[in-house]
Amino acid sequence: MTTFVKLKDKMTKENVARAIFAAFAAFSILAVFAIVFFLLYKSFPAFRQIGFFNFLFGGTWSPTNPSLDVPDRFGILPMIAGSVVLTLTSVSLGGVLAIFTAVFIVYYCPKKIKPVFNQLVNLLAGIPSIVYGYFGLTFLMPLLVQLFHVPQAYGLVSSTVILSIMLVPTIASITKNSLESVPMNYYEGALALGCTKNQTVFKVCLPAAKNGILAAMILGVGRAVGETMAVQFLVGSGDNYPGLFLPFRTMTSSIVLEMGYADEILHKPALIAIGFILLLFILAINLCLAAVKRNNSISGNKLFNRKIRESENAVSHYSWHKTGSLQDVLWILSCAVSLLVALSLLFIVFFVLIKGVSGLDFNFLFGKSGNAQVTLAPAFLSTGMVILLSLAISLPLGIGAAIFLSEYAKKGSRFVKTINLFIDTLSGVPSVVFGLFGMVFFGNILHIGINLLNGSLTLSLIVLPTIIRSTEQSLTEVPDSMREASYALGASKVRTIFKVVLPQALSGMITSVILSVGRIVSESAALIYTAGAVAYMPQSYLSRGATLSVMMWFFNSADGIENAPSKCFATAAILIVLVLILNILVTVVEKYFRKRSNK
Amino acid sequence: MKQVEKFEINNEYALTVENMNLWYGNFQALKNINMRFLKNKLTAMIGPSGCGKSTLIKSLNRMNDLVEGCKVTGTIKVGDTDIYEKKCDLPRLRKNVGMVFQRPNPLAMSVYDNIAYGPKTFGIKSKSVLDEIVETSLKGAAMWDEVKDRLNKSALGLSGGQQQRLCIARAMSVEPQILLMDEPTSALDPISTGKIEELCMELKKTMTVIMVTHNMQQAFRIADQTAYFLLGEMVEMDDTSVIFTHPSDKRTDDYINGRFG
Repeated sequence: MTTFVKLKDKMTKENVARAIFAAFAAFSILAVFAIVFFLLYKSFPAFRQIGFFNFLFGGTWSPTNPSLDVPDRFGILPMIAGSVVLTLTSVSLGGVLAIFTAVFIVYYCPKKIKPVFNQLVNLLAGIPSIVYGYFGLTFLMPLLVQLFHVPQAYGLVSSTVILSIMLVPTIASITKNSLESVPMNYYEGALALGCTKNQTVFKVCLPAAKNGILAAMILGVGRAVGETMAVQFLVGSGDNYPGLFLPFRTMTSSIVLEMGYADEILHKPALIAIGFILLLFILAINLCLAAVKRNNSISGNKLFNRKIRESENAVSHYSWHKTGSLQDVLWILSCAVSLLVALSLLFIVFFVLIKGVSGLDFNFLFGKSGNAQVTLAPAFLSTGMVILLSLAISLPLGIGAAIFLSEYAKKGSRFVKTINLFIDTLSGVPSVVFGLFGMVFFGNILHIGINLLNGSLTLSLIVLPTIIRSTEQSLTEVPDSMREASYALGASKVRTIFKVVLPQALSGMITSVILSVGRIVSESAALIYTAGAVAYMPQSYLSRGATLSVMMWFFNSADGIENAPSKCFATAAILIVLVLILNILVTVVEKYFRKRSNK
Repeated sequence: MKQVEKFEINNEYALTVENMNLWYGNFQALKNINMRFLKNKLTAMIGPSGCGKSTLIKSLNRMNDLVEGCKVTGTIKVGDTDIYEKKCDLPRLRKNVGMVFQRPNPLAMSVYDNIAYGPKTFGIKSKSVLDEIVETSLKGAAMWDEVKDRLNKSALGLSGGQQQRLCIARAMSVEPQILLMDEPTSALDPISTGKIEELCMELKKTMTVIMVTHNMQQAFRIADQTAYFLLGEMVEMDDTSVIFTHPSDKRTDDYINGRFG
């Protein structure tokens, strides 16, 4: 008589949909495994002939030196040292700048200029890394030469300064989020005890956000280790351990600088092997990040406990002092630092725009490009083609994955945790590693070759995590009551998702598209060896083509380009204008949808 | 396309619950419930917070399926059809056993599309038929005159009371046989509440209405039958006048007379 009911939809159509979405979500796992596997596979010849320990701990990198034995030519210890030291210096400097900036934005910034400041930070994040690098090369390095009376300024100082500015938006935005989620009653509680605002901010709120800040710093470490295009302009390429004004290498700079002329026998596998080692670093950093995120509990304050115990025996005659001067200093610092960050951003933007405008003319923009004169016309077309195809691939995949994560997945199940870990891992993989993977896997193993198709496939992997996260975020913001309303009318899950939930998440999806376009436009490290760096008009997706960012690299590295610096600046100016437009678009879209939902 | 049939209801009871138990994980929320709901009457379910009345009403069209870890034993029948049978067609069930929620939950669409959403779900495409359904449903919910000039504006811009009546109209758009209402007026002001009560009196002429309410006066005003719940058990169910004047169980008496709850 009693029937036990398993509460599960048995309808096959529903199950098929579920399976498809789950497969889309699991795609990230596949992608990460493929990247690890194929990089290892292709670097295997290098490890075998050089020896893993010779490779890792050898002190000399001189791939084409015939006077050395093969195992002695390929030692990457100086590069690892270069990457590690540069990461430490720039994350320290950038972290300090970013935390002060975040504190300023959250607690001190006047309401009226807060949106402007947020915009500036977003803009800072949107500027292509190759533009930062070129700015460093053409403005900062000559300045350093004059200031310090050194013969040349390649080295740790210039690369640290530029890289730390680049890290500010990453670290600041996460710090900002965790500061904003510190409960208001902490703030009120401290004020009610008679703390000054500055004391409250720096002694109560900032410590309460320490987990988020730690996560932000680790993410910054990942960015710094993987940063390529800016760094390769600034470190030089000396065979040295890093020094203040001494050219050195990082893992990333070696890959991108040498891949163009590396021979297939051993040099190329060795460069791929560097990519693999870099990937191992990134995976380790990601695991740290996952561990920090999991450990979200608020730990007790040991110092505080001890003080309570002491005070039990204390004689009851206290004397009260006014304190908080240190926090007042910190307050001034945070205002100064954020002003500095804002001014440097504005300076970079205007420097590039002013230098670039003079190089812009109709012929350079839209003229016919060839050997005799190189123009940007092919780059516009290539950029558009790459944007279209990579979005066409990654949008359905990303939205499907987001649907699975927010509509089907059981929160906290092992499968979901795994998927989330892999999506985060994928988003942390540096673009130069994606470039290597595209070159090896799409180009070589799938025989696609080096062309726009390869570049688009590679980019679609790069933007996938952004699309998943942004869509998932807006899906979870759709109230459950709307889903219930639809189910209660007898609508199926698939219909509910497509007719009720997805239309509401439109703003998130559009935002993710704009963000992805920004990412694609500014990408260069992943494209140079997958889509090519040529000045010809692409005929189809099977021809090589260079996007705008790659053109900057092309102008700077190819021989016989007339007036290369002015062309670089002109391209950089166009990139900055594009980034500005995309940033404004994001704001406009968000405003539009907020207005519409309030109506 | 396959027709979505109504349920056959041949005797005076539209819905019967037999020996029903319900667990959320390890917590037993409903204990051995036996109830019969009269066809084309309004039955109210009252009781203190947490007594299980909302849980029960959500089981009647299996909205509880959405709650993770929810497990049901026993039988619930609409007419002669066991709705917890494995092969039960959920869309058919929910089309014929509609639901109105505690908080108005209009979809983020226009007024028109809110009503048309249900019929479209069941394959009605013709614009003229949809127009007709929208008009009848809104008239049925006594709000046609209020919204006929703003059918294409977002439903989210309506007042709370209007939104709730829209939700009732939306539930009626698919011609349910039974309408479940889970505290439909608890988020509304007295005037909107009055309108919805009037509406319920109209609705029960053509369909079976089952309503959870916190408000005993409301039950007394509009319900034909009333059931009293306490701590996951159905204590007593009878004609409303009997429950409110001569309840047979002392616990009901205590609750009705304000000695508890």
